[in-house]
Amino acid sequence: MPFRRGQHVEIYRKSEDESWEEYMDQYIGCHGIITDPDTAKNDPTALIEVSLNEKGTHRFPQDCLRVIES
Amino acid sequence: MPETSCPVAATIAQLDDILQSSRLTKPKSRRIAEELHELLEDIAWGRAGEDHMPAIEALIQELSGDQSDPNSDQVAKAVQSAIKDHREVFFSHIDTHNCETGACIKLAPAPCQMACPAGIDIPTYVTLIGHGRDGEAIDIIRRDNPFPWVCGLVCTRPCEFMCVRGRIDAPVSIKFLKAFTAERAFSTHQYRNPEKQPDNGHKVCVVGAGPAGLTAAYYLALKGYRVRVIEALPMAGGMMMVGIPRYRLPREVIDREVALIEDLGVEFIFNTRFGKDVTFKQLKEEGFEAFFIAIGAHKSFKLGIPGEKDFPQVIDAIAFLRAVALGERHIPGKRVIIIGGGNVAIDAARTCLKMGCDDVTIAYRRTRKEMPADEEEVEQAEEEGVKFSFLTIPVEVVGENGHVTALKCNRAEMVTQTDTARRVPVPVLGGEFFMEADAIIPSIGQVVDHEALKALPDLKWTRRGTINVEMANMTTSMEGVFAAGDAVLGPATVIEAIGGGKKAADAIDRYLSGIPQPKMPPVPVRRARTPWLEVPASTKMILKRPEMPLLGIDRRRTTFQQVELGYSENMAREEARRCLRCDICRRCGECVRVCRDEMKIDALQLGYLDFDHPVKTDFRLTEERCITCGACAKNCPNEAMQIEDRENERVLSLCGTILNRQKLVFCEKCHAVLGPAKYLDYIRKMTGGIAQMSGGHALCEKCARQKIAAFDTLTPPGSG
Repeated sequence: MPFRRGQHVEIYRKSEDESWEEYMDQYIGCHGIITDPDTAKNDPTALIEVSLNEKGTHRFPQDCLRVIES
Repeated sequence: MPETSCPVAATIAQLDDILQSSRLTKPKSRRIAEELHELLEDIAWGRAGEDHMPAIEALIQELSGDQSDPNSDQVAKAVQSAIKDHREVFFSHIDTHNCETGACIKLAPAPCQMACPAGIDIPTYVTLIGHGRDGEAIDIIRRDNPFPWVCGLVCTRPCEFMCVRGRIDAPVSIKFLKAFTAERAFSTHQYRNPEKQPDNGHKVCVVGAGPAGLTAAYYLALKGYRVRVIEALPMAGGMMMVGIPRYRLPREVIDREVALIEDLGVEFIFNTRFGKDVTFKQLKEEGFEAFFIAIGAHKSFKLGIPGEKDFPQVIDAIAFLRAVALGERHIPGKRVIIIGGGNVAIDAARTCLKMGCDDVTIAYRRTRKEMPADEEEVEQAEEEGVKFSFLTIPVEVVGENGHVTALKCNRAEMVTQTDTARRVPVPVLGGEFFMEADAIIPSIGQVVDHEALKALPDLKWTRRGTINVEMANMTTSMEGVFAAGDAVLGPATVIEAIGGGKKAADAIDRYLSGIPQPKMPPVPVRRARTPWLEVPASTKMILKRPEMPLLGIDRRRTTFQQVELGYSENMAREEARRCLRCDICRRCGECVRVCRDEMKIDALQLGYLDFDHPVKTDFRLTEERCITCGACAKNCPNEAMQIEDRENERVLSLCGTILNRQKLVFCEKCHAVLGPAKYLDYIRKMTGGIAQMSGGHALCEKCARQKIAAFDTLTPPGSG
């Protein structure tokens, strides 16, 4: 499912994508809001922008994200 | 107090005092102290790695041995002593990224500031706008972002998604406030550059004059570096200039903010391709010690369908928007089809209409629901007359005599993939049809142009075709070469590029100063602690986010004039008053807990405190139940909740929002403050027997005791 701007998401696991860096481990379990999804072509491999509660805004691969009820 | 017991925080505070005072007078000793401060900040924010402590110790030695400054040895000893006494605490901060005392997160930034990729101190500048201090607001913004006006018009505003006010009604209009204050500061000549540091002799080359490159150039120039920017286009701005249409971002706005960067001594070389017109080797020979690659992602994906390469009327969206930005005013065709569903497709479609095309249709393979473009952009495009053809898969570009005549398409239906649950468009059997067209504009995404960086063969790339960097410090696989912006992220946002440029400038400065790179992305810096705006609870609730006035529809359809006309002064100042000042209230909920569970009053309805499941908030309800006992204020760890007596009233406020004000009752005899009547009733209820002894009079404890005493307790026996 493509992510939409404004959706509440959770970083629920470590990504297997090469763009996952070690410092990102601390974000597992954090909740946030999608602030810039892939606005070009709904590419499931695109990195998308998520603002995490109290932890800043970062680009994540989509395989570590899941939508949570808001 | 736990906040003051952290030796890391205490050492930083000590260095802060030293740097703000005139104890270190010589430039060299001040520089060493500043570097020490920076490394200690890394430790405090959990950004430090194993190199930090050795680097700090080396700096202490350097400072200690600096004979030029009489106080340098003393300062070095103070820092050394703190480290010696609490060595394990410093290492624990580095290893665990935790501060046991909580002191190192005391100044944790507000959610909006944390969300901003550039880390702008939003609560401070919003409050300054509320006070009418636009020049200071701009100064605060530019500490973290040299493009306040640009971002005020085109930022994707992650800050507003995280704005706590949004959990009550609508987020504070942070973006439009920024645009207002930038425009006002320019028009009142308050928009100025900060003082730059003296020339340090180091030369840095920036490749690409887009938002990332220009931001890095700005912060490096401020630090005293000699910066040269190489740009393939004939002007600065990058995608801001040639990718964003003028009706969203006027050229004057970019030019004004770029001119200020040029004023800092940054040298611009236009119409020059890196690796072609000037080589890496030449630049190194010229003395450039560090390189920042910010070439963006200007190359378009191809459709890969027959006919795509056969007609000059098939022009990719980025090339089309660039041509228009550079002055092209001839329509690509009367009937134009744009292929894609993203923001760039919308920009291309609206641009076609404004140029005078008769019929503009966006063909998108999925449904409206799946369109990745911003909803507001889609709505504005529809208002202006752009048509949409959903579930449309392009199959072939058809034409004759060198001219496009139609786009052959296939109807699609959305089918859920069994393995991924992802819905994908699948062509319908026999669903072929033709859409008549004179021009086709594919807009299906952009990639980085690798050709441009052939000159850097050791540069590592990701599988997405972007430059591989460590995101914490923007270092690439090549020593002395840094990168940021779309070249690293793929097509992303202006504010992310600015944030990346700022991080890279910091990393380049560290590289050339020989200090280690951070292992974590930077934690935004709080630039000030501006007094809050005082607003009654009812006003705070009633104020609504203002609608942005737009240009009339006919003019929108026919010209490139700016569509969003900007807030009026009154709108902006009032909007700033809606801010909750989350830089001060950290939403720990202690006030609510104490009021509800300890005092059993439950007067605070602050449903916005919960991030995932906010419930109703109404500041006005506090005065119905609140007895102004002050327990909430007493237990607030950040002094966000305050209670104070003002003349005849006791006032309870939360970050300036007046939650309750009650008339004070004074002692009938000595006029000492007793508290508001509601509070006194509460006390009487809790201490019924004692209160009745004052005989119904409002008396302070001392006077009540005198009244009920059989003799005058104040006068010693026999003295009268």
